[in-house]
Amino acid sequence: MNDVLDQFFHSLGHLFDEAETCLTPYLPGQEFVALLAFAFYVLLIVSGGLVAVLARNLVRATLGLIVTFFGVAGMYLLLASPFLALMQLLIYVGAVCVLIFFAIMLTKNTSDGDEAKFPKISNLILAFLAALGPLVVAGPLIYQGTKAITTRKPVDSGANLGEGLLSIDLLPFELISIVLLVAMAGAVFLAYRPGSKEGSAAL
Amino acid sequence: MFLSLAIVAQIIVAVLLIIALMVGNAVVMVYMERKVAGFIQRRPGPYEVGPYGTLQAICDSMKLLAKQLYRPGNVDLILYYLAPILAFFPVLLLYLPIPFGPYLTALPVGDGVILILAFAGLGVLSNLLAGWSSNNKYSLLGAARAVSQTVAYEIPMILALLAVVFLSGSTDLKVVTDQQGPWPWQWNIVLQPLAFFIYLVSLVGETNRAPFDLPEAESELAAGFHTEYSGMGFALFFLSEYANMLLVSFVAAVFFLGGYKGPIADGFWWIFIKAYALMFFMVWIRWTFPRVRFDQLLNINWKWLLPLGLFNLWLTAAVIKVAF
Repeated sequence: MNDVLDQFFHSLGHLFDEAETCLTPYLPGQEFVALLAFAFYVLLIVSGGLVAVLARNLVRATLGLIVTFFGVAGMYLLLASPFLALMQLLIYVGAVCVLIFFAIMLTKNTSDGDEAKFPKISNLILAFLAALGPLVVAGPLIYQGTKAITTRKPVDSGANLGEGLLSIDLLPFELISIVLLVAMAGAVFLAYRPGSKEGSAAL
Repeated sequence: MFLSLAIVAQIIVAVLLIIALMVGNAVVMVYMERKVAGFIQRRPGPYEVGPYGTLQAICDSMKLLAKQLYRPGNVDLILYYLAPILAFFPVLLLYLPIPFGPYLTALPVGDGVILILAFAGLGVLSNLLAGWSSNNKYSLLGAARAVSQTVAYEIPMILALLAVVFLSGSTDLKVVTDQQGPWPWQWNIVLQPLAFFIYLVSLVGETNRAPFDLPEAESELAAGFHTEYSGMGFALFFLSEYANMLLVSFVAAVFFLGGYKGPIADGFWWIFIKAYALMFFMVWIRWTFPRVRFDQLLNINWKWLLPLGLFNLWLTAAVIKVAF
């Protein structure tokens, strides 16, 4: 364990040394194109998100979600991480969304379900507050810590990423797995009905 | 502003060539499929139109183009028309990273194989949307089958490709090709026979071809997810099916059969010969094997291909670790 931590701190120091050298010079016009692309991806994310929230039909809502995922993948491209962008598409569009579709098809899909009605005002307020939560937590960090983000070497290949996940980014990597575990436990908790004869009758 | 104009021009030319390839491939494949089916079933196949029936596919496509677009009532309008488009266009992207020759790549991408796998997921999505938006139980059943099948067969496919990626240490299709020699015994198929077998089985499952064509099993589901499509809607599904077949054949050629390399002279002719040999193989098994049952289909995948793929991956990693 000590070795890992040693390596962790060592490479952390190393990263800041390399930060100056790894900035690639950019060509004239590139900034404008990047801005244009950024605007386009923001448009994709926002419009997809609106469709996902406002659609009165679950399949269309999921389609909106897919558009949002494409926008996020584009953002990864702008952050010089093509590998991550492709992984975003492979996992979120290719697997997660397809599984959501599958769940929709397995469930009874009536036109007068919960999603077809306009939600209660109290629910809307709660949802808004929940959406504000990450902004409150991450906002100051983003505002203050932008320089710290740019000093990182861009993750430009799978090998690079794998190396990072097993050395300097080991801690965040493990934290994410805990988040996933919590999500899974939550899903089981939501679907489990104690005392019902059919077991997982939530479907 | 001028920095990427050359790249943009290159991509536009490449996309046009790829569309030509897709359409030409569909014409050739329709003829090949019908002719091979004919010979396997001891009948001549198409022979009336043109010499040896070669113009039959052209006539078929003319008929499809001229056909009325019939739309049943109660479909989800947007999704119904979106689905065939979504089936066709992502396939264009999938051809971009494939090295057809030493210098003939539309867009050299470092993570080429991941790009292909990422955008291949949109194909399932289109089947799903088509089946769902048609508002018809046969279509919906076909779509549900398409999803569970494609999601399942993607995993052994990725595992097989991953074994080769382990060997060559890169996800770049060009690098994978470069590490193989021109002669058959220098190809990856010799080092990874099990991976090639797994890939071969799962590519049939992934492209919804017989004997794994459950999503469009006509004897039980009318025509599966595209029951309600006519004219160009159906034609786009058809085109993308053949384009997907060609794509997985190209990927197999690159990963296991040496890509554009071959005896005497390297070039795009070798990769085309290899890919079309695989296409012929797929047509061949379509007309000689009966369709499997759906539970059998999933059992083959989850109980055989997936453990085999994991074992093969572990073996590859162990051998690389010990030997190098």
